[in-house]
Amino acid sequence: MTGPDRRDLVYLAAAAAGLGGVVALGDTYALRVATLVGIYAIAAIGYQLVFGRLGLLSLAQGALFGIGAYTSALLTLSLGLPAPLGIVAAVVAPAAVGAAVALPIARLESHYVALATLGLAQLALLAATNLELTGGANGLYGVPPLAVGPVEIVGGWPMLTLVWTLVGLCLLASRAMLAGGRAARFATLRDAPHAALTLGLNPVPARLVLFAAAGALGGLAGGLQVHGIGVVSPSVTGFEVMVTILAIAVVGGRGSGPGAVAGAALLIPLPEVLRFLEGSYLAAYGVVLLAAIVLMPRGLDGWLRDRFPRRPPAVPAAASAPARRRGKALAVDGLRKRFGGVTALDGVSFAVSAGTVVGLIGANGSGKTTVLNLISGLETPDAGQIRLGGVPLAERPAHHRTALGLGRGFQHPEFPEGLFVLEAAAVAARDRSVALAALERVGLAGRAAEPVAALGAAELRRLDLARTLATEPGAVILDEPAAGLTADERSALSALLRRLADEGLAVLVVDHGMDFLLPLADRIVCLDAGRVLAAGTPEAVRRDPAVVAAYLGQGAAA
Amino acid sequence: MIEAAAQLAVNAVALGAVYALVALGFVLVIGAVGAVNFAHGELVMLGGMVGVGAAMLLPADLPVPGLLVLPAVLAVMAAVGLAVAGIAYAPLRRAPPTAVFIATIAVGLIVHHGVTVGIGPEPRRGPPLIDSGILDVAGVGLAHQQLATIATAAALIFAVHFLLQQTRFGRRLRAAAQDPEMARAVGIPVRLTIAVSFALAAALAGAAGLLLSNQYLVTPTDGGALMLKAYVATVIGGWGRIWGAALGAFAIAVFETLVAASASYLVAEALLYLGVLAVLAVRPQGLFGETTGRRA
Repeated sequence: MTGPDRRDLVYLAAAAAGLGGVVALGDTYALRVATLVGIYAIAAIGYQLVFGRLGLLSLAQGALFGIGAYTSALLTLSLGLPAPLGIVAAVVAPAAVGAAVALPIARLESHYVALATLGLAQLALLAATNLELTGGANGLYGVPPLAVGPVEIVGGWPMLTLVWTLVGLCLLASRAMLAGGRAARFATLRDAPHAALTLGLNPVPARLVLFAAAGALGGLAGGLQVHGIGVVSPSVTGFEVMVTILAIAVVGGRGSGPGAVAGAALLIPLPEVLRFLEGSYLAAYGVVLLAAIVLMPRGLDGWLRDRFPRRPPAVPAAASAPARRRGKALAVDGLRKRFGGVTALDGVSFAVSAGTVVGLIGANGSGKTTVLNLISGLETPDAGQIRLGGVPLAERPAHHRTALGLGRGFQHPEFPEGLFVLEAAAVAARDRSVALAALERVGLAGRAAEPVAALGAAELRRLDLARTLATEPGAVILDEPAAGLTADERSALSALLRRLADEGLAVLVVDHGMDFLLPLADRIVCLDAGRVLAAGTPEAVRRDPAVVAAYLGQGAAA
Repeated sequence: MIEAAAQLAVNAVALGAVYALVALGFVLVIGAVGAVNFAHGELVMLGGMVGVGAAMLLPADLPVPGLLVLPAVLAVMAAVGLAVAGIAYAPLRRAPPTAVFIATIAVGLIVHHGVTVGIGPEPRRGPPLIDSGILDVAGVGLAHQQLATIATAAALIFAVHFLLQQTRFGRRLRAAAQDPEMARAVGIPVRLTIAVSFALAAALAGAAGLLLSNQYLVTPTDGGALMLKAYVATVIGGWGRIWGAALGAFAIAVFETLVAASASYLVAEALLYLGVLAVLAVRPQGLFGETTGRRA
């Protein structure tokens, strides 16, 4: 479509050079090390999906490697299964373990993810060391080699070819998992979790699939290892394998499959180079890991990306016609919310009819953002109901509300690293032409092919609005969209919001004061200490004695 | 029978007091920088090794050898703590906590395998705090070492309590842990406070290592399990709660001693990890919730 990425050409050239090096050395020893590089590359390509793409510090990848190794060894030794079937089981069993741990772990804070996966790994190590089934501390030996018909694949070129063919297939598979905008959605889930929820992205399936895939590749690597060397001992489930994979992923560059291969090629031969220092290679891994995380936090792949930037996405020739979703009335009734001992909202009710703009004002701490968080589902109300087009929302998870037609804009929007403007806008859109239409509406269409990092703070807020509009909502709720804008930007924003309402959307806008909302809003709701102080036309609210006394007094005087 | 029960109880309390020291240092760093110090267990091991080495420098037949080397262990390990802060935290101040976590994994590898390569993988016995005598209490023989371990750990825990609750440093530390930006805004030297936290944490780890090194010996591979227990203790006690973690660690030691006495150490370990997984699956916010609020 757009020709090869120049970074990939660098990787291919490096791979060719590596192959040339192995051919030139040519001895069984070089072949063995090169095979081991491939095996660890496979495990690390899998680990990148969880560590890099989900951003979770799992410490179980070494254990999954070990589970794969033991599964295949046990099935071939005690049930006499052919080795290729053992390998299949070595893929399936750790994938199932990965999927099983993904669900409870997915809800945890990051420091608990590390502990839970470490606990799992410790249990695997204890089981491997102490069960009779697994041969205890001695492990299992005499594991048959892989065979194709009568031809056994024992070491040397056949094994090397098999392993590196699988490395290539794993890279293609992981690339396929990240194609079609999924990389951008995973990145949004990782770096912008709140925005992801209000854009309708469900984190659970993503975690399930990526954890299972990481387990499958970890297990495949373990299975290849055990049939390659014929023995397995509890050390394959130990922490050494885990930190080796972690170091490979960090050195290679977070999330990058080819980076993982390069990291393995750099780190796995290290113990051989350092053999004169005997067991010190793990200390050397420590030094390399520390140096990488401090000096090169984006790893080799990040270094290459700085030199060979990713190509901008193809911008569709034409934006699709503006979506014709029917506007939906939004109503909240009796919302209550307490945080600890503090009552944030104490029975808040108001409605936003389709085709109108309602302004929500109030001092800092009056509960404006809490109202938006309850409507969008980032927080759960203690009491009260929320309806969108008559459908009750309060019991539904945040990501369902997007599908029902709710859009939310943030005051300080989060964006994932490394995306282009069009990709960020399209993260929850039907297709890219819809996203381009949304960018046109906020005046960013001309910058669709620029990196998000090139945008300023005010433009980021417009991009946030665009990615929300690209979900084709029937109602939008916006948190201080006018804060920090110039006069020109404010009038453009005001015109856009008016147009959205004229198209039938219900528009709820939070702002500090009245001056932005006065000419724009059809109605104003004024909050004070978690209650509705006044509601009505902007003129009526501005003249309301309670509002003047409690809130506008200082503003009007200033 | 009574003798066995009394010895078991003293065993559990001595181990619990030492685990509490380990967990205190672990949770101090969590409070200071919001990140797990994965190398903490290796610092306990290193403290034990420093104790072994310092005792070899002492002339033989000195009384209370363990207590004599304690100040040296505290000082050396405090310096190690400063070095860890300088290497694994300072360059990553603006990076996410995961980066600090990974950097401490790296430091742990360096310490663990550096010690293995440097002095070999053999277990070594540290000096007894007082001597290897037995105190006879109403017909029950209690080891001097265990009683002195309890007393020393209690004194250190009390000193930390005083430091945190009664001194300006303690108030600054707690303030910086709760809200670093606000602390900086009101003029608290956050970087200094963090450096001192690392030093204090490492010194406590080192003391714990010295206290363990006589009865349980010290082996370069000891660190991982100790760190894991401190980690678990922090979950039991409520993430970031200093005294919760110490109590959690004490509970783990009692559990471990009792289960090891009635079944085996292996069963104790397996049950501990299974328990953690169950707790995390059922109560993802930890057993007692978190003290520090998450920032959106």
